[in-house]
Amino acid sequence: MSILSWRVVPAAIVIAVFIAVGIASLGALFLVQTDEGSWLTVLSAPYIWRLLSFSLWQAFLSTVISIGFAIPLTSVLLHRQFIGRDLLLQLFSLSLVVPTLVAILGIVVIYGRYGLLSTFLQGIGVEVDIPLYGLFGILLAHVFFNMPLAVRILMQSCTLIPASQLRLSYQLGFSRWHVFRWIEWPYMKKSLPSIFMLIFMLCFSSFAVVLSLGGGPKSSTLEVAIYQALRYEFDIPKASLLSILQVAVCSLVAFFVYRFTPMVWQDLSLTTNQIDHTKDSSVSKIIDMSILTLALLFLLPPFVAIFTPAFSMLFIETLLAKPTWLAVWISIKIALPSMLLCLIIAFSFATVARFFIGKSIVSQRSWYWLANTLEHSGNIILMIPSLVMATGLFLLLYPLGLSFEFGYYVIVWVNAVMTLPFVLRVLLPTLYQQERRYHFLYTALKIRGWKKFKLEWPLIRASVGQASAYAVILSLGDMGVIALFGSQELLSLPLYLFQLIGSYRLEQGACIAVLLIGICLILFYFCTHFIGGKNARY
Amino acid sequence: MQCNVSLIIQNIKRVLFFCLSNIISLGVFASTPELTVYTYDSFASEWGPGPKIKTNFEAECNCQLNYISLDSAGGIFTRVQLEGRSSKADIVLGLDINLMHAAKKSGLLAKHNVDTSDVTTPSPWQDDYFVPFDQGYFAFIYDADRLKDVPTSLQEIVENTELKVIYQDPRTSTPGLGLLLWMKSVYGDAADKAWETLSQHTVTVTKGWYDGYSLFLKGEADVVLSYTTSPAYHMVVEGKNQYKAVPASEGYYPQIEVAAQLKNAANPELAAQFMQFILSEGFQKEIATGNWMFPVIETENALPEAFSTLEQPQKVLSLPTELISKKRKGWVDEWLNAVTQ
Repeated sequence: MSILSWRVVPAAIVIAVFIAVGIASLGALFLVQTDEGSWLTVLSAPYIWRLLSFSLWQAFLSTVISIGFAIPLTSVLLHRQFIGRDLLLQLFSLSLVVPTLVAILGIVVIYGRYGLLSTFLQGIGVEVDIPLYGLFGILLAHVFFNMPLAVRILMQSCTLIPASQLRLSYQLGFSRWHVFRWIEWPYMKKSLPSIFMLIFMLCFSSFAVVLSLGGGPKSSTLEVAIYQALRYEFDIPKASLLSILQVAVCSLVAFFVYRFTPMVWQDLSLTTNQIDHTKDSSVSKIIDMSILTLALLFLLPPFVAIFTPAFSMLFIETLLAKPTWLAVWISIKIALPSMLLCLIIAFSFATVARFFIGKSIVSQRSWYWLANTLEHSGNIILMIPSLVMATGLFLLLYPLGLSFEFGYYVIVWVNAVMTLPFVLRVLLPTLYQQERRYHFLYTALKIRGWKKFKLEWPLIRASVGQASAYAVILSLGDMGVIALFGSQELLSLPLYLFQLIGSYRLEQGACIAVLLIGICLILFYFCTHFIGGKNARY
Repeated sequence: MQCNVSLIIQNIKRVLFFCLSNIISLGVFASTPELTVYTYDSFASEWGPGPKIKTNFEAECNCQLNYISLDSAGGIFTRVQLEGRSSKADIVLGLDINLMHAAKKSGLLAKHNVDTSDVTTPSPWQDDYFVPFDQGYFAFIYDADRLKDVPTSLQEIVENTELKVIYQDPRTSTPGLGLLLWMKSVYGDAADKAWETLSQHTVTVTKGWYDGYSLFLKGEADVVLSYTTSPAYHMVVEGKNQYKAVPASEGYYPQIEVAAQLKNAANPELAAQFMQFILSEGFQKEIATGNWMFPVIETENALPEAFSTLEQPQKVLSLPTELISKKRKGWVDEWLNAVTQ
C-alpha cells in the first residue's frame, strides 16, 4: 500500500496549494530589506519583553476565567429548557462578530462612569468607582467575548455523549451532580485543551480591547507592536520578527498545554440523543437557576445596549439609505465565496486526515499523530495576525501585476484562511468519528466518494451547517484585512461602520452595528437550519 | 411568414445597434483620462468633502477622478510604499505633516510647481513636494454641561489630577502624535515629568481618534484630545452647543494635511492640474463642513456661522519638520517610559 492513494490526491492538492500560498506569502515578508536595525535591536528592547509578559498574563487570566464560568453554564444549558434558550445560544455565537469597538461601547454603557451600574449603585447609596480601565476592564471585555465561545464549544463536545450513557445514568439513579461529574465532565475535559488554546490565542493577540480599556501603554500586547511596526514605522522586517516571536510563544504554550493533558478519544458509540431524564431536585434547580441568572446578568445588558439603537428613527433612516445596502451587498459578496472556499479547504483536510485514520485502523503503524496535527494546525493560523498575512500576500502578488483588481480575491482568501481554525474545530471531530465507526463497513462494501458522502450526510449535516454558519459570519464581521486593500468599491459593512464613527457619526455607526449583527443572526439561522437540517446545532 | 422574418431582422438590427452604441460609449469612456487619488476613508466617503470635490474638478478637467480610500494616513503611505514604483496612484492626499519626511525619503514623490504664496498656514508654506490642503489645531474637547471648572491651558490639563483625560496613542494616531509634539513644544526637556503627571489621571490611551472620541461622548472622560473644529460638527449637524475646546494659553499645535504627486503618475499633466486645483475655491470651500477643518486659503463665505464661535488660537506653536523626523522615535520612547513607570 503506497502512502497516498489516488483517491485523496485532489484533497492533497488543495492542502498543498493552501500551504504553499501560506509559506510563499510569509516568505515574501522576509525578502523585504530595510536599513533599520537588526533583529537583535528589536529583541533587546525591554518594552517588547514587558509587552510579552503582560500579554501572557492577561491572556492566561482571561482564558481561565472564561472557561471557569463556561463550564457550569454549559451544564445548565444542557439540562434546562426555557423560553429563549435557542435565541440565547445564537446570541452566544455572535459574540465573535460584534465589532470590538461596538462591544466596548456596550460595556461602557453598563459599567462605565455614567453607566447603568454606577447610576444604579448611586441610586441605592453605594459610591463605587468601577475600575473599568486596566486589567479589570480587559478581563471583563475578554470574558464577555470568549465565555460564550467556550460555552458553544463545550456544548458541542457534549453532543457527542452517547444516549446509552445517559440512559444508564438514569437507570442507576444518578443525581444532577453525578451526571455532571461522571458523564458531562469527562466529555468537556476532552475539549478543554483546545478551547484553552483557542481563547488564549484570541486574547493574546487581542488588540482594540487592550488599547481601549487597558488604561495606557502599560497594558499592551505584542499584536499592537506588530501593527505599529507595519503601519506606522513601515518596518516590515520588524513586523515579521515580532510575528515569529508571537508564533513561537504561542506554540510553546500550546506545547505545554497538549503535553500535559492526556490524549483522549471520542467514543465510537452510536448516534446521540438529547432527551434528558435526569432526576431533578429543588437544590439543583436553585443552583442551576442562580448560575443562569448570574450569567445572563453579566452577558445580556451590554447586548441590550448594543441593540437599543434599533428603536430609533435614525435606524429606519439608515435602513432606507442606499449606501447601507451597497455595503451589505459587498459584505455578502465577500462572505459567501469565502465560506465556500473555507469549507473546501476544511473538507480536503478532513479527507486526507480520514485516509490516515483509516490506515491506522487496519495497520500496525499509527498515523493518528498526523490526523491530530491537521486538527491543531488551524491554531497556527490564529497566531499570525491577519494584517501580516494580507501584507505578505500583497507583496507576493504585486510583482505579478495583481493589485487592487485582485484585492477582492485576496480578501476572500484571507478571510477563508482566518475562519479555517473555527471550521476545522467544528467539522473534524464529527468526520473523524464517522471514519472510526464505519471504516470496516466502508471498505467491505466498497463505499467511496460521492456515495459515502450521501450516506454520511444525514449524520454530518448538523456539523456542516454549524461550520458554514461560523465561516460566513466571521468573514462578514471581519474588517482587519479589508482595510489594507480597501477601495471605494469594496466598502463592506464593518468598514462602513468605522467610516461613520470616524467622522463623528457615532449613532449612525451604532445602527449599522445592529444591522450587521442582525444579518449575522439571519445568516446563522439560515446556515444551521437549511444546511444543518432538523438536528440543527446552534 | 414574411412578416415574422422582417420582425426578426428588425430585432437583430436593434440588438446590434444597442451593442454598437455600447461599444462606442465604452470607447469614449476609455479615452477620458483618469486620475487616481489615494486618500483616507472619511475624506472620500459620501459625507466627506471628496464627492463634491470630484464633481467640481471633473467639471473643469474633462477627466474622471477616482478615489481609493484607505483606513488612515499611515495606510495611504504604507500602500504606496508596498506598491513602489508601479503604484497606480497619481496623487496621495491626506498625509499629515509628520509623515512628510518619511514620504520624501521614499523617493516616490514628484516636485510640484504650485504657487503656495497665498497659503494661510501659521508659518509661510515652503515645500517642494507637498501642497497643504487643510489645517486645524489639536485641542482638548469638553462637555460644558458636565465640566464646570474648565482649564485654560495645556498645563492646567496636565496638572489637574482630578481631571479625567483620554488621548490617543502617538504611535498609532495623528492626534496622538500631535499631542506629543504639543507637549514637547510647551515643556521641552521637562516633557517626561509632565507625561508622568498626566498619566496619573489618564483614563486610557486609545489606538485611534474615534475610539477615544466615542468613549468621551459616552461620558468616560472630562476631556478628550481632538481638534478645535470638533465643536463645529456638533453645532452644525446635531445642533448641540455643549461641546467646546479647552483654550490653550501656551498656544495650540497645528495639524496640516498635505497632498503630493507621484513621480510615476500615469498622467503627469492631469496630476499637476489637480495639484493646482487643491488651492482653488472648488476644493477649499468643501473643506470646512466636509472634513471639519479650516481651508488653507482665504475664501469668501467658505466658513459656516459655527466656525466663528470656535476657540481661535492666540498663538500657534510649531516644531521644525527636520527636528521632528530626527527626534520622533526618541520622543515616543520618552513618552512610553514616562507613562509606563
